[in-house]
Order: sequence, then structure tokens, then C-alpha cells
Amino acid sequence: MKFSVEKVVGGGRLGTILPSGPHGSTALETPMCTLYTRGGSAPHLGVDMLKRVSNVPDIAAMSLGSLAPHHENIRDFGKGIGEFAALKSSLIFTTLHDASAAVTSGKNDRNGVAVWGKGGKFKMDPSLFVKVQEALRPDWFQALSDGDTDKHTAKKRLAKAVNNTLDFLDGILELTKNNKILKDASLIGAIEGGFDEEERKRSAKETAARPVHGFLIEGFEKGHSGVDLFSIDSFTKLLEKTVSFLPEDKPRIMETVWSPLQIVKAFNLGIDVFSSSYPYLLTERGQALVADYTIPSSSPAARLENKGSPNGALSTTSGFYVNLKDKCYFEDFSPVLTECDCYCCATFTRSYIHHLLNTSELLAYVLLMIHNFHQYFHFFNCLRRSAREGTLEDLQASLEAQMNSKPSSET
Amino acid sequence: MTTKGKHALSLNIVAQCSKSKARACLMTLPHAQVDTPVFMPVGTQGTLKGLVPDQLRELDCKIMLGNTYHLGHRPGPELLEKAGGLHKFMSWDRALLTDSGGFQMVSLLELAQITEEGVKFKSPHNGTEMLLTPEKSIEIQNSIGADIIMQLDDVVHSSIEGERLEEAMYRTIRWLDRCLAAHQRPTEQCLFPIVQGGLNAELRKKCAHELIKRDVGGYAIGGLSGGEAKEDFWKMVKLSTDLLPEDKPRYLMGVGFAVDLVVCVALGCDMFDCVFPTRTARFGCALVKTGQLNLKNASFAADFKPVDAECPCSCCKNYTRAYLHVLANTETAACNILTVHNVAYQLRLMRTMRQSIIEDKFPDFVQGFFDDMFPSGQFPDWAVDALASVNIHLR
Repeated sequence: MKFSVEKVVGGGRLGTILPSGPHGSTALETPMCTLYTRGGSAPHLGVDMLKRVSNVPDIAAMSLGSLAPHHENIRDFGKGIGEFAALKSSLIFTTLHDASAAVTSGKNDRNGVAVWGKGGKFKMDPSLFVKVQEALRPDWFQALSDGDTDKHTAKKRLAKAVNNTLDFLDGILELTKNNKILKDASLIGAIEGGFDEEERKRSAKETAARPVHGFLIEGFEKGHSGVDLFSIDSFTKLLEKTVSFLPEDKPRIMETVWSPLQIVKAFNLGIDVFSSSYPYLLTERGQALVADYTIPSSSPAARLENKGSPNGALSTTSGFYVNLKDKCYFEDFSPVLTECDCYCCATFTRSYIHHLLNTSELLAYVLLMIHNFHQYFHFFNCLRRSAREGTLEDLQASLEAQMNSKPSSET
Repeated sequence: MTTKGKHALSLNIVAQCSKSKARACLMTLPHAQVDTPVFMPVGTQGTLKGLVPDQLRELDCKIMLGNTYHLGHRPGPELLEKAGGLHKFMSWDRALLTDSGGFQMVSLLELAQITEEGVKFKSPHNGTEMLLTPEKSIEIQNSIGADIIMQLDDVVHSSIEGERLEEAMYRTIRWLDRCLAAHQRPTEQCLFPIVQGGLNAELRKKCAHELIKRDVGGYAIGGLSGGEAKEDFWKMVKLSTDLLPEDKPRYLMGVGFAVDLVVCVALGCDMFDCVFPTRTARFGCALVKTGQLNLKNASFAADFKPVDAECPCSCCKNYTRAYLHVLANTETAACNILTVHNVAYQLRLMRTMRQSIIEDKFPDFVQGFFDDMFPSGQFPDWAVDALASVNIHLR
């Protein structure tokens, strides 16, 4: 892949990624998110339903836990995971772990890394890892890495994580030299080091010295922990530092579950590519994303009118989402978000979705996934526009005001 | 041939099989023109199991079911009325049919007590005692607003005989009259009575004779598909269709296995419903002309064919069995994908039958269907007998 920065805004970059290989004409504009998938599919959505979502990212992130155990069958299929999972026209980014879940700790060592699927643990050394990638034929692939660290991890373990990860990377580079199947696949190096500045620096510099096409920064939490990393004092500074050791001409990726406000903050620190697991997690909880990205944002009164139900139902609304399981939506015949033009909002009411949640119907999650994806993908359009037009500070201020508009805490 | 005006339903017989009792009709309802024979997928709680109405329209589905018992509890008739009826609530602009709620009372609730007044039961939600009378059932169904509504009947298990069965049959007739009297929207909703009488031919005949004296738009055949022997089942179906008038639709309740559908179309039934196709999809099973594929089974792990190469549904156009094997073991997306296919399978089976009736090739269709389903040639005896009773002789 080829990454070019068009404009630097604060610490953030407006850029373009030109993939290698058959999808070479698909220019990806950053900041961007990937399509979050489970088992190779958008959560709850078959391809005919995914078509009803607009602005779907051109690249899907697929974690290995649920797919790697099937690699021999996928190899025999012969056309890669994209076509296997009926996402033929999509670019594929294989990552190690499901972005929405915690990772079972303590299973990695210098010989390999464990990923987790329905069937349990699947441990890979670099050689098996490369076999899996040859079967899946991704456009981008995250190198095998030991990210099983967080802010409580001791320095010795952090050093080991960095070493293991670099060793895996070297092993993979060696194994994929002159590899015909993976010749167009872009290897993404993982940056580790937990909350230790020295280890972060070492990991960044050493990884950047190797022929990788981009960087995935992880190891701040063991998979998804539910903790807002920005609430940890040292995080912002540490991320800034880490990024400063990375070259300008390669994209930086983070798979963290982040709300729009957290995305803006991370973008400002120089992150280019994000996961879309946040809308998935809202969906699983029966919540609908209703954040406002217009600049200047609508007045609080106008938003209340837009979002509120007849009985003034904002009790379970954080600034960014409403909880449609709440009884106050029982008789609310307005769409989830009046100004939203997604399939769900154009067709159904809050009352109906409340009923579907109340009766545990599958359709509740189908409809919320459509809405939440639509809104999150729309947000990235707004983020790029805002960065281009120089209104990023206003966007961040507006999102902060929305978040603080309600006592309940944000994820 | 056409019943006009009075009822919210009219039936045009388009073609009649020259050998069997199978017929192809056009049934006109307030929200749709329905080609029969028709399979009606079951959307119990105001949704067809993960599918949106658009997907059903793409499958050319014209009519689906809702369950009064479930909808009466959640979201409840008051809300449905405020929403402007179930059609609006669930954004489904085609036809709907609701059952009376009686069947669920008896099948789901151990504590249900049936008296002349109605079905007494303890609410599963708050434990209070409630009474579903014929009047109450119709009131709820009037709020839901389906095109076809069902009378409350006294449902007994198909193994019950003797006095209780006789009582249930006569009570069903008395409750029909109470339902007809309570029905507030006869020009918008067509009320179907239900032929009961268990496996007792005499009782069933009596019941049918009484029902056809009433002025109704169509008839249902109930009390079957409850685990009775198939040889009893088909005889009761045939006996009922023999007595019911030609010019009204006949709805065989709770039947949806492919073999049963083919046999009962031959016996003269027009409408069917069953949760099986959608339920089995959620367990990872896909319906095909040879039976069903359990995609969770390891034998599909490297099977790169679609579920059914001849099926035009979005599942078969996009997915392989091998990928569905991966997905069915982990993700709910697989339920939705397979539900689309199984509904498509049912609707396509009915369309194929209809077309063969119109071309007067229905017996050939039946032969081909059985050859596919039972490649060994070992057809079930009951099906052979049932088909022979309407002049279709399987080879």
C-alpha cells in the first residue's frame, strides 16, 4: 500500500491510502474506520442487509480467532477470505483479536500467540500464522504480536512482549520473502510496550526499521477492557510519544473501541485508521448512537426536541446514545433519530425497536446495527470534512458538550 | 365462483387439477392479492425472525402470521391501536393473519383452565389470573388489524377422545357464534371458523356441517399436526376438505413440512403456516429438495456449493455451504441468512405447485417431488395412500 498525507491538522493527518494488488484503484481516505466483522460477516447482517447501510468502509477487519481454525478449508476454497465470506468487493485486513472482546491473558510465549474463537484457543507460531494468511489472502495483515499487556504489566513482561513481537515479525518477514500468494499483502507491524515509554520507543523504532507498511498500536489493554484509555493520565502523552517515533509516510492503526469524541482525540494524536466495534457494542446493549456532528451544533433545545419522546424521555441518554430498552420508548412513535436517513430510521419507530428488544427478537439487533453503523460511518465523513475545513476544535467542543449534557458515563 | 363485497376476502379459482383436489386460486384481501396455495411464514411477535419487510417483499411473500397471544401481552392491544395497527407498527403493508391466542394458552400454559366462558390462565408476566373469552380474542384481533382473524376455539390434544373431545367440538361452534357477534370490523377483517373434532370422523363432519351454515369468508382446519399418526392426519384433512365449500379458502393450521404441504395441496387445502422453516434456520438447517442440510455438521466444512444452486435467494446467490458452516457455529448473522433461504424455499415450493396446477401437470410435479425427496423410492405409506385417495398414484 501507499500512504500519502495531504494535510496535517494539529497532530492529525488527512491522507489517502492506495492499496496494492487488485483493489489498487480503491483510494481510502483517512481518518477512516474499517468495517467491524465477526466470523467474517458484519454483525447480524447478511450481505443483502449490509447493502442497506451507506458509506460502508471499503476495507473489512477480520479477526483470526473465529477464522484461523478453518484455514485449511479456506485454503482449499482458493480465493481468499473476502470471497469466502461473500465480501468479494471489500479489501480485507486480518487482525489477531476481536476488537470488541477482552483477551484471555497469559497464553502467549516466545513460541507463539493464542487467538480465541467459539471453539476455544488457537495458538500460532510464525510458520502456522503465515499458512493461515496464505489461506485467507488478506490485503493487509497484522503481524503476529504479543499485546497481552496493560497498565499493570511489569517492565520485565513489557520488554518480553516487545521482544516476542519483534521476533515474530522477523520470522514472518523471513517466511514471506518471495511469497507469491502474499506478494500484494501489506504487513502491518504491531507496536507494544504497555505504559512504559522506553519500551514503546524501542518497539516503535525497531518496528519502523523493518519493511512494514503500517503500524498497529496496541498493548494498552488486554483486548477490549471497557476502560477509557484517555482517562488514564499517562496515556495521551505516551501515545503522542509513540507516534513521534513512527515515520510519517505509513498509516497508524488502533483497534480500540472508541466513541466519536475519543476518535477525535486519537486522530489529533496522529492515528489514521480505527475499528468500528463501538457501534457494535452499543447495538448489543440496545443503544442507538444519536450524537450530533453538525458545526455549529444544534442548540441543546433543538436537540432535545429532535431526540426526546413525548414524555420527555432522556433519562437513559448519554450525550451520544439512547437506550431503547428503556420503558420511556414504549409509546414513542418517532424514528430513532429524526434527522437520520438510515434504513432503520426511515422505516421503523423507537416504539417498535423497544418492543423487539423487550421480546429479544433478532430484528432489534439487525436494525440497531444498521443505524449505529450508518451513524458511525457518517461520523468519519464529518470528521474528515471538519479536519479539512479547520473546524475540528469546534467538533471536539461540541462532542464534549454533548457528552457532559448527561450524568451517565460514556463507554 | 367469487364471493363479493360482504367479506374482507374474495376468492377466484384460477385452475383446478383434473385428477386431484388441488386448486390454484387468487385470494383478494384488504392488503394483498394472494396466490394460493400459499405458505404463510410465522412472525410471532410482529417480526419475521430477523428479516425486514423489504426482504419478504423481495421473496414475493404476500401474507404472514402474527400471534395474538404474544402480541396481546407485548406490546399489547392498546399500543397496537395507538400505533395504527400491526401493519403500521411493523411496517408491513401486505396481508396479515392472526390466530386466536387459544392454541398458545393450551400449549404454553400448564395452568390453563377451559370453561364455557373462555380460557382462564395465569399471566406468565405477573401471575394474575386472566380470562381469554371469544369476545376478548376478537377485540384484541380487531386492535391488531390483520386481514384474516381466527375464532377462539376449544383446542384439545389430538390424542384426546370421548366426552371431552365432543364437548370441545360443540363449544368451538358456540364460541364461533360469540366471535361473529363480537367482530367489529367485518369489512376489513375476515373471520375464519375452525373445523375441530380431533381424529373422530363423525365429530369432524358434524362440526363442518355446523360451520358451513354460518356466513363466513373462509375456513380453517384445526386440531391436527399435534403429533397424531400421519394416516389419521390425512384422513381428517380429506374429510374436512370434502365437506367445506369449494368457493371459500381452506386453511390447514400448523402444517409446513414439505411432504405434508404437497399431500395436503392435493387434498384441496389452500393455506398453510408453520414455525418449522424459520425455527430450523436458526438451528443452522437449510431446506432443500432432498430434505434439509444441517450446516453445523462438519461434512459441510469444505463444501463450496451454494445451499441450493437453483434457488435465487440472497443466501444461495452469495454464500457457500462451507462459509455458512463457519458462520452458523458462531454468529446470529447465519440465522438471518438461512431464514431468508428457508422462507424462499417454502414460497418457491408453493409457487411451483401452483404453476403445475395451472398447467394441469400437478400429478407429474408430485411424482418428481417425491422422487427427489425419497431417492430410494421408499415413499411413506400414508402419503402414497393419501395421494391415491385423490387419484395420484406414485410410481
